Amino acid sequence: MKSDSPETLSERETRAASTADVFLQVGSITRLLHDTLAQVGVMPKLQLAADGLPDARSRLNYIAEKTAAAADKVLNSVDQAKAEHKLIADATRQMAKDIVADPVKAVASGAVMNFVGDVEASTARIDQHLTDIMLAQDFHDLTGQVVTKVVKLATELEDSLLKLLMQVIPADQVHKVEDAFLNGPVVNPEGRSDVVTNQEQVDDLLASLGF
Amino acid sequence: MSNPSDLKFLIVDDFSTMRRIVRGLLKEMGCANAEEAEDGAVALNMLKAQKFDFVVSDINMPNMNGFDLLSAIKKDDSLKHLPVLMVTAEARKEDIVRAAQDGAAGYIVKPFTKATLEDKVNKIMQKLAATA
Repeated sequence: MKSDSPETLSERETRAASTADVFLQVGSITRLLHDTLAQVGVMPKLQLAADGLPDARSRLNYIAEKTAAAADKVLNSVDQAKAEHKLIADATRQMAKDIVADPVKAVASGAVMNFVGDVEASTARIDQHLTDIMLAQDFHDLTGQVVTKVVKLATELEDSLLKLLMQVIPADQVHKVEDAFLNGPVVNPEGRSDVVTNQEQVDDLLASLGF
Repeated sequence: MSNPSDLKFLIVDDFSTMRRIVRGLLKEMGCANAEEAEDGAVALNMLKAQKFDFVVSDINMPNMNGFDLLSAIKKDDSLKHLPVLMVTAEARKEDIVRAAQDGAAGYIVKPFTKATLEDKVNKIMQKLAATA
């Protein structure tokens, strides 16, 4: 007959009781959390918000893709329009030189009419690029609608979590905000003394520190 | 350091659109020689592999942010001479001060104009020429 394992019967019973105790405590905390959420009235909203999160992610990805595509379109059109503009500018300078040098020859040789034709064609192409830039702004309509939906979802989530937070955190912790969430462009500088709002303020701050 | 058109720029930003805009503006200033990196880590590798004369860097980037890139550049004997111009949406005063204390040559907040970029690049160049 084998001897008992290193853990005695008494130790096993103690461990089992301790595990059961932990389960009871976790269950009790879960019940408390559930009841608190229900009392505060956030359970249905939180559930809706949680269900909507994967959809929110894909909507935000959609926004990122649309804005990136629009930016590319616009920059492409700008590059092409600038190239046309340079052609006109160079041709104009050359035409000016030719007319000053020999105005009769410039007209008789057809150079002036050719120049006029080239400018007309170039300006038509530039006009098309400007139209393309205008049309590329359509992303705003599409993304604006998506943004509205995501903002609504985020607002509901924020409301629910805020209600819960106000119930449980100590009074002196109420205004602490995780620093990491404040990174990026300042959306609303009103009332803030810790941010600058234009380049002049940046330069003044640096100058005041001797930089 | 001489004419800006002789300089080789490294533009560091995780948004390709912004890199393209900065590159376009530098080209209009006569500085057509520029390359791009999408984060600080890629930028640092490029700086160690090739000769650059000027770095224009965002701050908020994945893998290695602008502050860490600036710090790495200033700690490297072969790179610490490089002027680093921060071009960023971060408008917090503590970030501006930190950048200056860490050795940034300049700080531009987004959105910015061509005139601002030109002014800062030229001022940095003049300062470097004066201390050379």
